[in-house]
Amino acid sequence: QEFQFGPCRVEGITLQELWDAFWAIKDIVQAKDNITSVRLLRKEILQNVSDAESCYLIHALLKFYLNTIFKNYHDKAADFRVRKSFSTLANNFVVLLSKLQPSQENKRFSGHDSARRRFLLFQRAFKQLDIEAAQTKALGEVDILLTWMEKFYHL
Amino acid sequence: DGVAVLPPPYNLSVQSTNMKHLLTWSPVSVPGEIIHYFVEYQGEYESLYMSHVWIPSSWCSPAKGPECDITDDITATVPYNLRVRATQGSETSAWSTLKHPFNRNSTILTPPVMEITKDGFHLVIKLEDLGPQFEFLVAYWRREPGAKEHVKVVRSRGIPVHLETMQPGAAYCVKVRTFVKAIGRHSPFSQAECVKVQGETLPL
Repeated sequence: QEFQFGPCRVEGITLQELWDAFWAIKDIVQAKDNITSVRLLRKEILQNVSDAESCYLIHALLKFYLNTIFKNYHDKAADFRVRKSFSTLANNFVVLLSKLQPSQENKRFSGHDSARRRFLLFQRAFKQLDIEAAQTKALGEVDILLTWMEKFYHL
Repeated sequence: DGVAVLPPPYNLSVQSTNMKHLLTWSPVSVPGEIIHYFVEYQGEYESLYMSHVWIPSSWCSPAKGPECDITDDITATVPYNLRVRATQGSETSAWSTLKHPFNRNSTILTPPVMEITKDGFHLVIKLEDLGPQFEFLVAYWRREPGAKEHVKVVRSRGIPVHLETMQPGAAYCVKVRTFVKAIGRHSPFSQAECVKVQGETLPL
């Protein structure tokens, strides 16, 4: 089992562990998302992502989740189950991020700019909401993220 | 002011074998009193991004004895900080923290237990169930000069697996090792075990 995001290959992550962690918090987190008309990870962000783009995009998304979403939400997660599942997701995202090395040399050539545009669509949508509402929604959309990541996961 | 303060646990250490992780410590003893222990952990994420956040262990909040199975808490291949404190009634000791963070990639992998059987002319292996993170790499060969070694990856656990249809009168040997994807490591191979099929080789 490994992820292959274009040129970036990552071993050592068991995707089922991430799904199990998300399922444990899905209802709690999604119940707090009152803005049902908005979706941050919209279709145009994750649809038809080329291999060349995929490593840049997943790197940017994971970094954002770790720095902006998990970081501020973890504190508020008083429910023990949420904290435990949070920790599983966050620490596996740390492993993933540390092993993703999007090539810096051919940044100008392929994938980087279009991946950047996709990420900015997500970030813009995030910033249009109140920060707490946006964090809650983004957390509730981890299943969308994992579903997309699954396309790059090989058993 | 002479108030007896409950001493913290000490000598914390983790014994980890085949991805089962046990945190142990030297107990705190107060004659005639019942002592409980609380265990908490933080992964690399917590220690990097929010070092004040500690998470209660799944099975040891509280623990009655000086050990805690932290297997369900260690769910990523990153360094984990672990800490323990003692409580007695309303009194609580200071936290005692594991000196070096624990990473599951340091677990000891032992050669797996296997059971080789013959079902008529069929060579069958049954492997112990070590959990979903384990794959088994089974090597088997016919015991004769120049024999080729065959390899089969087995992911099913605890159920018999057919390896080979054997020739009458021939002997076959098997050895096996585990592989854990989450940490990218193998165990040593087990001892080879050989079985022989009764009966003479039938003339062609």
